[in-house]
Amino acid sequence: MTSSDGSPAQGSRIQRCLVYLSLGMLLSGAGSASGSEANGAPGLADSAGLRATVFGTPPQNMAPLPTRVPLLEINIALPWARPVPDVFWFDRKLRVWFSPQRKPAPLAIVISGTGGDGNTAQLSILRGALYGAGYHVLTMPSPTFAGFIVSTSSTGVAGDLMQDGRDLYAAMQEIVGRLPRKVRITEIDVLGYSLGGANAAIVKSIDAAEQKLKIHRAVMINPPVSLFSSVGRLDQLFADSIGSGDDAIERLYRTLYAALANLYRASDRVQIDEDFLLGAAATVLKTDAEFSAAIALSFRMNLVNMFFAGDLYAGTGVVVDPRRPPKVGDSLEESQRILRNKPFAEYFTRVFAPYYLKRRPDSTAASLIADNRLDVIGDALRHDADYYAQTNSDDVILDRRELAWLQDTLGSRIAVYDHGGHLGNIGERQQVADMLKMLGGGWPGQAK
Amino acid sequence: MRLAVLLGVVALALGGCASRSISVRSVPSEYPAAENAAAVESAAAYAAAAATADTTAREALAPVMPADAPSMDTYDPWERLNRFTYRFNTRFDEAVFLPVSNAYRGIPSPIRSGVHNFFGNLSEIDSVINYALQWRLKLSARSLVRFVINTTVGIGGLFDAAAKLRLPGAPTGLSATLAKWGIRPGPYLVVPILGPSTLRDGIGLLGDYGASYGVNIANLYRGNVSWALGSVNAVDQRSNVNFRYYATGSPFEYENVRFLYVRKRLIEDAGLRAK
Repeated sequence: MTSSDGSPAQGSRIQRCLVYLSLGMLLSGAGSASGSEANGAPGLADSAGLRATVFGTPPQNMAPLPTRVPLLEINIALPWARPVPDVFWFDRKLRVWFSPQRKPAPLAIVISGTGGDGNTAQLSILRGALYGAGYHVLTMPSPTFAGFIVSTSSTGVAGDLMQDGRDLYAAMQEIVGRLPRKVRITEIDVLGYSLGGANAAIVKSIDAAEQKLKIHRAVMINPPVSLFSSVGRLDQLFADSIGSGDDAIERLYRTLYAALANLYRASDRVQIDEDFLLGAAATVLKTDAEFSAAIALSFRMNLVNMFFAGDLYAGTGVVVDPRRPPKVGDSLEESQRILRNKPFAEYFTRVFAPYYLKRRPDSTAASLIADNRLDVIGDALRHDADYYAQTNSDDVILDRRELAWLQDTLGSRIAVYDHGGHLGNIGERQQVADMLKMLGGGWPGQAK
Repeated sequence: MRLAVLLGVVALALGGCASRSISVRSVPSEYPAAENAAAVESAAAYAAAAATADTTAREALAPVMPADAPSMDTYDPWERLNRFTYRFNTRFDEAVFLPVSNAYRGIPSPIRSGVHNFFGNLSEIDSVINYALQWRLKLSARSLVRFVINTTVGIGGLFDAAAKLRLPGAPTGLSATLAKWGIRPGPYLVVPILGPSTLRDGIGLLGDYGASYGVNIANLYRGNVSWALGSVNAVDQRSNVNFRYYATGSPFEYENVRFLYVRKRLIEDAGLRAK
């Protein structure tokens, strides 16, 4: 647990932050790139919300967490998996993490946010909180994570709520059925953050019909209401804070490089290591535009992977020639260069829509978008008392109408906090306490 | 015998050994309470440092401007070979290196930090030489003093006593020396088992080993002892690096690692020349 001599114990957290940060930092030139202070970020985000989204819960505000959480890594080959394309040779199996209790206990299955693997910093915090409260905890990647798309998806084209929900549900059955025998499960609950929140609710609704896992409660943490509007806001954030095209990205890179080089020269460090990067992020990211750029870029980095996988599986030929898919030793630099300039909107029009329109004869682009709103399970959310949500009034992925829809639909089964942005209060005392009450069925409604 | 083991390991790493449909393995536990306590502490320390940093005068050097940034492209003429090596490293890491270093992390941390300090102390000799070659004699002397203190007071290097006397370690090596002399990194190079590097840094690595081999302190660099120590050293190093191959699941990981590694080294080079 030592990240380097002298900084004990925070290694794993830092590691998971690292990709976010080093990429998130790739970004920060943004402020000067666009020259504009974020004149009204999209959605509900304000300055504090953006900051919280980037830096997360300050350690001093964290809920009490257990001393030790045991961890098993499970790699599982799913029987329905499709042949693995050459370039994804490393993603053959679905990788999930499991923390077993010694006694019979409820199982909490937690689903990651967009593009996230099964062991992100947020999952690690939630795992700690849930394990400490006596749950077995199983953490799973998002269906939009490249490793999930390759090992588990039945289509290879991620982002469809129902299809992703069915894939997740099938994978959960497979995993739960093959957990070590001494693990005794009393009931199953599902949770998820960001897109994973929506995934969790969908999985519960599928299970309500099929009854294979008998899932009891679902808690959505900062869920989107309309998938495509939410990512649309992140596209907008990218365009506003970074710009578009190779020039914008190059400008961002140059600004960031200079900022890091100057920081490094002024420091007495020998090596650029994780601690340096963490400190640098705090120094470099200061304005709304910079926070926006960090958020937008880290989303874009995930999108690039999902876009590539989708294009490869759907054979839509945006960057992958369907007749000559890339081989193991081939350079993918050009594909990456092209994809990093492409917003989600383009994934929708060039990969997602062509793929699903062909397979669902009655659908239209508009109906595909509508199918990816939480109101596909609106009735269940409204009438089934086992669905809960937590969100923030300054979450960048929501707008006022969507927040109102959530409040109206879930009634007393939602907690809305006045800070935290998107995921920036996960692990906070209040968030954890409320989440545990919701899962345990003892949620009295939010105190006004 | 040694060769047979080596070949076996290579075959395992190349072939990948995981053909079962499910594998469940213990990985090091998490210690959220301790991690968070440490994070509280480092956040406070950082805030304190940031508060004083603005008041201390920056060096009078011209700052690096965005226009000075190197191109986003990386010179990688050996890409095919590098990709092959990267793939080998991934498999080796999953099959051998990572499981061993995870098991190693089960050993109580005082013992592990003793081991880490021991190897750190051995590398001071190389730092003494290279700081001298970089004409940074103060640092060279500091490394020498550290070596003497830690070898004696620190019981053969098991304890970093010098750090407690306000002489923190600052290891350097031949690649830093070459950089100081103005030698460019050259082509990107993925070194078997060790990972991302450049031609210059690769040569630096060989040179560092050569120096240790030449000095051969306490005869540790000859015969079977050298193999045992080398392996422990490798495991110690691996267990201190928080990196998992393809944890991102990204098909572009080779590109991303190459980009970040080379930029990191260029920033370090520029800083070194300025110092």
